[in-house]
Amino acid sequence: MDFLMLAVQILVFPGLLFMTAMGVLLTGLGGKLVARLQNRVGPPVLQPWYDILKCFGKEMIVPEHAGRAVYIGAPVLGFAVLCTAGFFIPMGGRAVFSGTADVIVVLYLLTFCSVMAMAGAASTGSPFAGVGVSREMVAMISYELPFVLILLAVGKLAGSDTGGVTFSLQSIAEWQRIHGPVLFHWSMIPAAIAMLFVISCEAGLHPFDVAEAETEICEGLLAEYSGLPLAFYRLTHCVRLFIMTALFAALFLGGLAAGNDGLAVLLLVAVCIVLTFLCMALPHGICARLRVEQLFRFYWTVVTGLALVSLVLVWFGL
Amino acid sequence: MMEMIYGQIGGAVAHFPIFAVISLFLGAFLTALVGKRRALLRRGIVFVSSLVSLVLVILMIPPVMSEGWIITYWMGGWEPVGQWAIGIGLEADALSLFFALIVTAAVFTAALYSFPYMAQDSQPENYYTLYLMLAGSLLGLVLSGDLFNIFVMIEIMTMTAVALTAFRVDYDGALEGAIKYMIVGSIGSSAVLVGIAILYSQLHTLNLAQLALRLPEANSPATAAAFAFLFVGFGSKAFLFPFHPLAADAHAVAPASISMIISGVITKCGVYGIIRLCYVLWQNMSLPAVSTAVTLIGAVSCFICVTMAFNQHNFKRLLAFHSISQIGYVIAAVGLGSFFGLEAGLFHAMNHTIFKGLLFLAAGAVQHAAGTLDLDRLGGLARKMPRTFLLFLIGAAAISGLPPFNGFASKWMIYQSVFEKAEESGNPVFILVLVLCLLSSVLTLASFVKVTQSVFFGPCRPEYAELRDVSAAMRVPMWILATLCVITGLFPGAVRNILLAPAAAAAGNPAAYIDAVFGVGTAAGAHIPEAAKASETLIGCWEPLSWLWLLLTVTCAVCFVMVLGGRPFGRTVQADDAEERRQASEKLFAGLPDPKYESFFSGEKAEFSHVGGSDLFWGFKYSLRRYFSYMRRWHSGNVNDYTRYGIAALAFMLAFAVLCL
Amino acid sequence: MILINYIAAFALIALGFYCMAVKKNLIKICIGMGIADYGANLLIVSVGFHDGGTAPIFTIGELTRASFFVDPVPQALTLTSIVIGACTTAMTLSLIIRLKEKYGTLNSDEIRRLRG
Repeated sequence: MDFLMLAVQILVFPGLLFMTAMGVLLTGLGGKLVARLQNRVGPPVLQPWYDILKCFGKEMIVPEHAGRAVYIGAPVLGFAVLCTAGFFIPMGGRAVFSGTADVIVVLYLLTFCSVMAMAGAASTGSPFAGVGVSREMVAMISYELPFVLILLAVGKLAGSDTGGVTFSLQSIAEWQRIHGPVLFHWSMIPAAIAMLFVISCEAGLHPFDVAEAETEICEGLLAEYSGLPLAFYRLTHCVRLFIMTALFAALFLGGLAAGNDGLAVLLLVAVCIVLTFLCMALPHGICARLRVEQLFRFYWTVVTGLALVSLVLVWFGL
Repeated sequence: MMEMIYGQIGGAVAHFPIFAVISLFLGAFLTALVGKRRALLRRGIVFVSSLVSLVLVILMIPPVMSEGWIITYWMGGWEPVGQWAIGIGLEADALSLFFALIVTAAVFTAALYSFPYMAQDSQPENYYTLYLMLAGSLLGLVLSGDLFNIFVMIEIMTMTAVALTAFRVDYDGALEGAIKYMIVGSIGSSAVLVGIAILYSQLHTLNLAQLALRLPEANSPATAAAFAFLFVGFGSKAFLFPFHPLAADAHAVAPASISMIISGVITKCGVYGIIRLCYVLWQNMSLPAVSTAVTLIGAVSCFICVTMAFNQHNFKRLLAFHSISQIGYVIAAVGLGSFFGLEAGLFHAMNHTIFKGLLFLAAGAVQHAAGTLDLDRLGGLARKMPRTFLLFLIGAAAISGLPPFNGFASKWMIYQSVFEKAEESGNPVFILVLVLCLLSSVLTLASFVKVTQSVFFGPCRPEYAELRDVSAAMRVPMWILATLCVITGLFPGAVRNILLAPAAAAAGNPAAYIDAVFGVGTAAGAHIPEAAKASETLIGCWEPLSWLWLLLTVTCAVCFVMVLGGRPFGRTVQADDAEERRQASEKLFAGLPDPKYESFFSGEKAEFSHVGGSDLFWGFKYSLRRYFSYMRRWHSGNVNDYTRYGIAALAFMLAFAVLCL
Repeated sequence: MILINYIAAFALIALGFYCMAVKKNLIKICIGMGIADYGANLLIVSVGFHDGGTAPIFTIGELTRASFFVDPVPQALTLTSIVIGACTTAMTLSLIIRLKEKYGTLNSDEIRRLRG
């Protein structure tokens, strides 16, 4: 029975099906919102889903120089890893898995997912993909530092009852149930803003999507991809957006509607939509793509600074 | 606690430590006797002597690790009288044995690799003689129960390592790396010698057990200074910051098998020395000052070396900087002073030997096949050397800490231990250490993405068109290491029970170490506390095996959807298609435009374009150009500068020790 | 009396280190290594010294109740360490000879192909 329960959790809710559906929905909604901001009608909300379906049906062409195993395996494995990361994030009250340091697990798995994307791209041997790999890696270095600092700030705040730092999403949620959401503590607002930027970069959203710049490097990482693996990349992209927004919700707005699972899920969806607007539609509508070194500098100065402010404030008990 | 009489273990086991050491030295002697000819006999001797020492060390595991014996051996039967140990003793407790296992296993693997790898070099008899002497000194160092013998072994180690670094005299930079290693390394050796002299003047003994017995009482500025001297001495052998430029110079130019020994084993001997010093002799790792300082040194080494690796365009030099970065992790974990931290550090030390050995051997294979290690000139080797590539990938994944390889398991333990220490002590320094460690992990990953991209991926250069993968004989040792990477990664629990927990317990239990030499009760009489047996539970989601299951399940589910949802595994390129393409590309290369592809290439010729190593992280390096150019100036390559850094470190440690201890 | 030995020992070590850090000529650096080593040796030998002690050689006839030995252990240590020091010097010098052949210079400022 437990096993069946687990299987349902992994496959349906809050597992693969839910995450995929939410990811696609959020991406589509984001596209629509961008269009509305620019006074366009925009594509239908399900457009990403149509794209992905189409890709599934298309022929897959393995480039001449590519290593076949890595070329096909990397996107699939990347997607699997990303979904695994999702299992640790509490959605609607609780996560599929939880542990004492699941924040670090999530951090690690997100990194692993990017690595898979890079490995697949690098295996094609295309110079565009090579540049894409390099940019993806720089982007990763850029957001990793503020990300860690944000996690520490939240962990310190949520661990303040026990006098330490907690890295457990479960206990962060627990703390928020008692003390109210982390976001409502004024000292955490800089960290929350920093987290918005981290979401944008991690999910490869517009002003920060240096690795997949269509106009400069032919979509970099995806330059040589087609058919089924491409579909998986697109899917990974969508799910990543959802997972990052859900992580934001878990870190900063956890413990809302505790006890009522249905309401909690609805709230989660609402939060994710708002975040999509903030992280995807708004910057996309008003900002042009950054250069890679601008991105790096921005993250290691402004975003890191914001996260650091929160960390210092929290450390001194404010 | 263990109720048995330490050191009284009878039978042949009592003689195993000395035989393990002697076997290697005897092998060195015999190799020299065999002379230039008779390659087969020479290889036989090397193989047998390294195998014998490995087997003897493995045979010591059950009594020492599982049953908790400590084997003591007195040369010539000069046993201690009263509480005075004058004779030359070997003492193998679980900690020594743990490092002895690392030493002998690495020596054996690297010897196997040397046979094909060094086949074309001249003077093989010198190589193997020096090699076995190096191996013997390393083993002697970790098994010795006497500080002066440790010094002698350090000197033999340095001397042979220098000679082996310069072994390929004609290789560019070999002599230069060797002489820098010699000169700056001599600071470390002198520091150890001075430390020994000061200790002797205070306590009139150099036996480790006796020192451990008497040092906690004899706390004075003089012993503090001795601690500083010895710490810097061992630190320089582990190439800790600021001795790290040496490692880069020496590793990069030595033959690959020696690079593996230098990075995998010599550094570990330094780590062993530091653990012995801080946990057993002075027992001061519980002091916040020492703990913080050691952890910080580790974290700084870790971070600086990983950023230095970004600047490199020599494959092995890059790996060399990464070794010190990983040693930084080890030292940071060891410095925490907690049982779990020590376990984590030991585990990472062991894993580092395995995966870095694998990477160095893979680099050696690339050098063997392609003749160069320049990251800007290599490229596209994945298709030419697929097997080596696979092995390299395993090593790179392990060092970057990706599951399910061993680096993941040990880094995880390090994070957990640092984090727990931060939680427990509330000291912000440990949070800084944690951030540095996590950041270094990402940078390590980035660095190996760079290597993979610039060496193995991308288009193949025309000059490597005829390249062949290395022979099976060279791949066998690499496979051994790769298998170990996976096994220790998948079953860290077992490794922990069998090796790490006894070794960490031995380090945290100087009382047993003392009792083994002087009889039960000596330590209790001198108020040496017995170790509290801290058995920590691991974080639940830490078990990598469950991870693997999870990943497998999800991957299966995804594949299932894939099969249902679309045309599975669509065709790639069919035969006629391939033929057509080949012709087209031939035309393209011949400069004849193929109308079919004109729209893609605008009629231009396909040119070799590869994103090489140095250009890969432009955005990162450009933004931090000040830091990088400063670091480049700082690693000036001038031996006087490196000497100055070493002396500054010595002065700093002296001041620190005298003020804080 | 013995204090002079200690001061001299540490002065020698400092001098040797200074030599290694400042002198550009590799031969001089090698001499510096030697000096530091001698300092350490002097230190060890001085550690074992007892005022008025005789040489630690067991010849029963000469031993009276009033006479006593200096500590023999440091002397043994020093012997070993002198031998090691000689090896180090030989090794360094042989490397220097090959370096001179290869780089054509002994100036440490010019022997820095490995850097950065």
